[in-house]
Amino acid sequence: MSTTEQADTSVDNNTAADSSQKTHFGFEEVRVEDKAERVASVFHSVAGKYDLMNDLMSGGVHRLWKRFTIEVSGVRPGHKVLDIAGGTGDLAYKFSTLVGDTGQVVLSDINSSMLNVGRDRLIDRGVNNNVQYAQLDAQFLPFADDTFDCVTIAFGLRNVTDKDLALRSILRVLKPGGRLLVLEFSKPQNSLLEKVYDQYSFRLLPLMGKLITNDADSYRYLAESIRMHPDQETLKSMMAEAGFANTEFYNLTGGVVALHKGIKP
Amino acid sequence: MNTTVDPSISAAITASIESVINTALRYDPASLQKIAAINDVLAIASTTPVLTLYCHGTREGVRIMSHCEAPTATHLSGTPLALISLLKKPTTLANSGVELAGSVGLLQRWQVILNELDIDWEDAISSVLGDIAGPVAAKTILGGLNWSKHQGDEQIRLFKEYITEELKVTPSKTELNIFNGAVSDIKMDAERLQARFFQLLNTQTKNTGTSDKTNNKDAV
Repeated sequence: MSTTEQADTSVDNNTAADSSQKTHFGFEEVRVEDKAERVASVFHSVAGKYDLMNDLMSGGVHRLWKRFTIEVSGVRPGHKVLDIAGGTGDLAYKFSTLVGDTGQVVLSDINSSMLNVGRDRLIDRGVNNNVQYAQLDAQFLPFADDTFDCVTIAFGLRNVTDKDLALRSILRVLKPGGRLLVLEFSKPQNSLLEKVYDQYSFRLLPLMGKLITNDADSYRYLAESIRMHPDQETLKSMMAEAGFANTEFYNLTGGVVALHKGIKP
Repeated sequence: MNTTVDPSISAAITASIESVINTALRYDPASLQKIAAINDVLAIASTTPVLTLYCHGTREGVRIMSHCEAPTATHLSGTPLALISLLKKPTTLANSGVELAGSVGLLQRWQVILNELDIDWEDAISSVLGDIAGPVAAKTILGGLNWSKHQGDEQIRLFKEYITEELKVTPSKTELNIFNGAVSDIKMDAERLQARFFQLLNTQTKNTGTSDKTNNKDAV
């Protein structure tokens, strides 16, 4: 269920720098420089009905995954939190209540449509004192070194063109002892669950997308991009290579989603 | 973290409990205010099913988590029934079936709040049914609940009396206390006897050792 996606310039290849190189857009191979634009078009397309689709496709379970992420974050009053690919602001809203008046939350997304939806939702919920909004690319975070106590990226990392670059960028802006939390679709740990999940993702999900948003292609991309995303152990080792310490992950809903955690040494 | 329950399930459990409690607390502002002042984390570990919940107060009510990064001030563990009965009425931990580690003060604070809980059910029901039907319905429901509780307590008391006084299949509380006292006396007597026996044995061994030494000395 490709619900809580993020609007980061997408793809899975770590060679964004060389424009002649190819990368993935779901199962399709495209030029690196075309990727961000295509991913952006997906999220511009789904932004309006993003929350509705998330609830329908996950049966509301995405709220539980995010709830667990909040618990593992350990965020408390006075903390500074960066929510990358924050989309419609589910995490940012909860963080804003936890950090209080002395803390700060930055809700960010590379996609303006998603960020607008998130900003409107937070304002509608009365959040206006400790949340800032920023349209930014996770690979090139425009913040000073050692700024944040916690950085989260929920359902966004798989859309980032160069994941290693993004992880290093996040490491730079985290304070020593600060933590990164990556909530992302992953590999189910049970073969039966995996088969059911495949059928759901590739058959039911695009159908729902077509019926509700009249956009089957976007939801097909979401399903495909999930399969191209590194599995639990691979992402864990990527985080360790980027410089994070004490990396670990929690499998949620049988591994359909995994929450990875890393600490800046 | 609890490794036996998928975090999605434990998150669903905590979300449900939290939602129910905080909805009820909206109709008891005094308790809500007291809870908001509790910042320390209380861990409640159920042994069956294996599940640990962490809770502390916030301005919105109680925050309940399945995973907690902050240090816990008090850790309670036991069966769900034992834990609920301990939280409901202030009592000693002895024979409660609950183990406690950490601050007892935090537990007492929660016990006091739970015992002084005064939820305005009439207001809660009125907000759903309206100002006319609400109070009538609330009075009927609460009256019914009180009557049921009274009847339930009465039935339990009568049943206890029947099996002890009429059927005589179990001893009464007084008989049981007398029996327990007698067993306790026998136990203490046996322990005294054992202590006396060992004392005599030691004396005997000491005397034997002294006489052996004297004999050896004479032989030399």
